[in-house]
Amino acid sequence: MTSLTWISQKAWIWSFVGAFVVWLATALYIGGAGGTAVITTALSFATFTVIVGIGQMFVITTGPGNVDLSIPATISFSGAVAMKIMDGSNAMLPIGFAASMACGLVVGLFNYILIRILRIPPIIATLSSSFLVLSTAIAYGRGLKIKPPPLLAEFATARLLGIPVLAIVIILFAVVMSVVLNRTMYGRSVLAIGQNQRAAWLAGINVERIRFYTYVLSALLAALCGFLLSGFSGGASLNMGQEYLLASIAVVVIGGTSVAGGKANVPGIWGAAMFMFLLVTMLNTFGVSAGIRLILTGLIIVAVITIAGGDKPPR
Amino acid sequence: MLSKLLIGVGAAALCATATISLADTSDKRIALSNNYAGNSWRQAMLASWEKVTGAAVADGTVAEAPAFTTAENQVTEQAAQIQNMILEGYDAIVINAASPDALNGAVKQACDAGIVVVSFDGIVTEPCAYRIAVDFHAMGKVEVEYLATRLDGGDLLEIRGLAGVFVDDEISAGIHEGVAENPQFKIVGSVHGDWAQDVAQKAVAGILPSLPEISAVVTQGGDGYGAAQAFAAAGRPTPLIVMGNRYDEMLWWKEQKDANGYETMSVSIAPGVGTLAFWVAQMILDGKEVPQDLTVPFLTITQDTLEDSLAATQPGGVANVEYSLEDAMAVVSGG
Repeated sequence: MTSLTWISQKAWIWSFVGAFVVWLATALYIGGAGGTAVITTALSFATFTVIVGIGQMFVITTGPGNVDLSIPATISFSGAVAMKIMDGSNAMLPIGFAASMACGLVVGLFNYILIRILRIPPIIATLSSSFLVLSTAIAYGRGLKIKPPPLLAEFATARLLGIPVLAIVIILFAVVMSVVLNRTMYGRSVLAIGQNQRAAWLAGINVERIRFYTYVLSALLAALCGFLLSGFSGGASLNMGQEYLLASIAVVVIGGTSVAGGKANVPGIWGAAMFMFLLVTMLNTFGVSAGIRLILTGLIIVAVITIAGGDKPPR
Repeated sequence: MLSKLLIGVGAAALCATATISLADTSDKRIALSNNYAGNSWRQAMLASWEKVTGAAVADGTVAEAPAFTTAENQVTEQAAQIQNMILEGYDAIVINAASPDALNGAVKQACDAGIVVVSFDGIVTEPCAYRIAVDFHAMGKVEVEYLATRLDGGDLLEIRGLAGVFVDDEISAGIHEGVAENPQFKIVGSVHGDWAQDVAQKAVAGILPSLPEISAVVTQGGDGYGAAQAFAAAGRPTPLIVMGNRYDEMLWWKEQKDANGYETMSVSIAPGVGTLAFWVAQMILDGKEVPQDLTVPFLTITQDTLEDSLAATQPGGVANVEYSLEDAMAVVSGG
């Protein structure tokens, strides 16, 4: 019974189990050393999903109805602005990074203003701000493709003992964010608000300030993702954020965070991001056609979520 | 109900004859209904539209030609947009459609209201509309035929577009037909790159460990640079990658060409095809005879024309051809 309780409390385990099973199937199919290459590739790409996933997790954890739909637009916007300002020059790196963070800050502030002052539900507020942000990116960049500074490109694709450096950095970052979530005033407040906003308020938590921090954090992480992704894939493009809308939400949910809020965990995001990438890789490797691939992706995700959420401890 | 419909059809026919008798389009209004603007191709398409129609409005060829883009790339949204255009009384609607058949209802309503409907790129199947289609099938086949002139054979990686879009099916069918006719080639892997370089990079990087050495990559455009990045990141030799006329692809090709004499070809549709649709709509309003189905040639860039194309293309853009009324007439009479 204790082991069952343990597992049910660690919902994130299932995302890792899923990722491992899918990887094993792929590695056996390929045979030889291909399996290791698949893992390192998955690490490279999962990194970006994890960055935005962590931001999305904090937002979702603040309770029902909270979700950040402006992440893809912020990724494209931040990437475009940073690339244009740096214009491929190493010397401009700090300024480009600052500009990218400023983009995130502005979007986060704007989202919060819509939600708080205009009292627009977060899902609508972030959706409408994403239109504004993407339009700004389009007007600013017009699909511009400027090469990232060599130093940034090198850093984003560098490997240490075969492991992507960026992945190591983001794993450390995830550890830090896990501590922030579980051990700091801010993280605990986020969880408390998600469980019961009124109770949290009565307990003396400044609900609005915490919510403000959360939306700004999510936008900042999206901006960071845009900055690094541009370095990784050789420049910014208008639709580079597109696939991170559903991915950011999916990794949060598959990772074992409650969509209803108040219950979150960071490690699950890594497991889920690896799982999502490996799943597509496995189906591609098997040569499954696109239609069947989408059906299987859907079914497998449903299966993992069901198993992960299936054995809740009886109350 | 039926009689009402018949009256509607009769009225439409009357309108049509009335239009033909007019030989002047200076008071005509043509609207562009566009379903998506979030990539460089669509941006170039809109820029071309603005440039060519802006000039046409300035010299009094037509009264106005605004472009409208839906925000969410949804069929329902575009259908509503077309209905608004009908109410606003445009004389012609040029459509790049989100779906070949789901807009047919709205398109039929427009035709019934006596509005000329010209679809291009994303065409509609409703019989009353005009279609300016690209022979995507031939485009896919051309890639393999080019490979046959360059290589003795080998394993190919296919990067497809957006799953479920007919353009993707057509290009892919062309590629597979080409491979069937050139059995020295074999497609050993296929991924969906969604015509976007970052998606392509991700998909290719994922499948590469499972593949043998690749001699060439067949693509659909917008994905070539991402594929090159993925091969470089995996430390694999760069295969022959067919490009798709995007600036970043041509720039990469140029760099490789200068560094090691890399040779390939590039093929795609010019975003200026929207301006061809504009002139076709104008010609129909002008009372000219235009066949219901037209085909436009695709734009091929070779080793020799690379520098010129690159120089003529804006950073971040796509190699382009804008159509004049004369060009449009040539296409109409040729097709």
